[in-house]
Amino acid sequence: MLRLGIDFVRRFARNRAALIGLLLVIVVIGVALAAPWLFPRNPLRIVGRPEIWPFVNSRYPLGTDSLGRDIAAMIAYGARTTLLIGLCASVTATLIGITVGATAAYFGGWVDEMLMRFTELFQTVPNLIFVLTIVSILGQKIEYVTIAVGIVTWTPIARLTRAEFMALRDREFVQACRAMGMGNLRIMLGEILPNALPPVIVLSSLVIAGAVLFESAVSFLGLGDPNVSSWGRLIGDGRTLIRTSWYICAVPGLAIMVTVLALNLVGDGLNDALNPKLRDR
Amino acid sequence: MNRIVLRRLAQVIPLVLAVIVLNFVLIHLAPGSLFDVMTAEQQISDPAMLDQLRHTYGVDQPTWVQLAKYIWSVMRLDLGFSYRQNAPVLNVIMDQLPATVILMLAATSVALLVGVTAGVLASVRVNTIWDNLISLAAVFFFAAPSFWLGIMMTVLFAVKLGWFPVGGMRTIGAGNGAFADALDVMHHLVLPATALGLFYAATYARVMRASMLEVFRLDFVRTARAKGLSPSRVVVAHVMRNALLPIVTLLGLQLGTILGGSVVIEAVFSWPGIGSLLFDSVMSRNFPMVLGVLVLGSLLVAVANATVDLLYLRLDPRIRAR
Repeated sequence: MLRLGIDFVRRFARNRAALIGLLLVIVVIGVALAAPWLFPRNPLRIVGRPEIWPFVNSRYPLGTDSLGRDIAAMIAYGARTTLLIGLCASVTATLIGITVGATAAYFGGWVDEMLMRFTELFQTVPNLIFVLTIVSILGQKIEYVTIAVGIVTWTPIARLTRAEFMALRDREFVQACRAMGMGNLRIMLGEILPNALPPVIVLSSLVIAGAVLFESAVSFLGLGDPNVSSWGRLIGDGRTLIRTSWYICAVPGLAIMVTVLALNLVGDGLNDALNPKLRDR
Repeated sequence: MNRIVLRRLAQVIPLVLAVIVLNFVLIHLAPGSLFDVMTAEQQISDPAMLDQLRHTYGVDQPTWVQLAKYIWSVMRLDLGFSYRQNAPVLNVIMDQLPATVILMLAATSVALLVGVTAGVLASVRVNTIWDNLISLAAVFFFAAPSFWLGIMMTVLFAVKLGWFPVGGMRTIGAGNGAFADALDVMHHLVLPATALGLFYAATYARVMRASMLEVFRLDFVRTARAKGLSPSRVVVAHVMRNALLPIVTLLGLQLGTILGGSVVIEAVFSWPGIGSLLFDSVMSRNFPMVLGVLVLGSLLVAVANATVDLLYLRLDPRIRAR
């Protein structure tokens, strides 16, 4: 196990882009964790003159927005929101996806047919429109945004889990478990799932990046939680001032881009390290 | 061939039915029914009047009767009445739909044109500076939120340079004539279509590069070279045609996302499509309109998916044989 772990780390470290991505992700996580310590007071509080440009006043290194709020503080607290929603949405999507995909492949037959039609349904509904509908019906709360994003992003995970389970469900060790009289649930969770998990984990790490983009679009449209600092909301608020102070939009947008870029690089790196067969293509 | 087309189109029907049921469930999840919103806006408080209205709108019937009635009415393309625009939901959506379809088509064209060209270029010049530059650009555009890209492009090309208009679809009070009008719309279309299309172009470039490199290794390409075809003819007529198949698959899978993305881009560029309509309806809790957009959007995606599948048959005759 340990040797496998070391092997994995070495393969991951050979990929320079993935290392850079990992470094950036660690920086973003660090900023998110340190936010209350760096900016002890409420980030949505008005601190100074509105529309101070970045690098002009050393007290507000990234400037202030149209209301005179500190952009640096909002970016730091926004990192918390972004990472939290991205992570929770990805976990939600992974749980739904694994449940649907595993059940479909393990039982096969009409269960498989029904569940795959169900998956197709969620692939057909235009995802952002669906998110907006759910948020408008349930209300503008951070939990609902998270659930909504999870609900529209689980389909690829379900398909992948199904494919992995299909390949494993008739293998000898599974048949041995059946012969021993193990229950279906125990075989699925205890025996097949650990073997099917690595590619699924890679995909859910990529889902985090997608969830971050979804969250930013929802809060950009002004449908996110109004009481939480968010990068997308900051862009939406700054949009009316692009003639004079376009930096209000530029700074949080760069933050989103760097985060998504880093997450994608890490996901690709994990993919290469966990699926060495694909690597040499 | 006709039977395949019919069978594929028949698969759309259960999907749309399921979307309608999903809609109905969503309506009933909403805290405060549509009926409450309506009566509150009209300020009706008389209990007798409320009872009568409940009867008129069928809210007093059991849930399954309401569901059956809802499915039946959607089947007849009756999506309800929007009290806000004071017009049937379907008419309002149909008025706005062409603008969105134009935007989607333009964005898809930009994505295909830029993505396929970049992918082909990167694969022909594999492991050179061109390849690296294209891969780098693809990684960046894959990570940038399209609405932010749109705003930044507005700042540069509309505000600073003044090449393109900031938003809208037509210049108000511009000269008439179909040709001038089309030109005007196209001028307004450049920035939104590019902002939306570049994200997908990034995906297509990566996939196209990988799939071109895959095809380059196949035997028939060596044959084509051996019989003396020029390098450009090998690339365009033999490799590209075969490498395009994954792009078509991807295009079909992403239509729903492009429709969703156009909602946000429409908000950035005040493009008068169903995105703006949806946004306004979500804000005013106009549920019949929101759900109408969801149903018609899903229908659009389902039909477009079927079309892509049929296109696939044309592109690759081998599939038909199975």
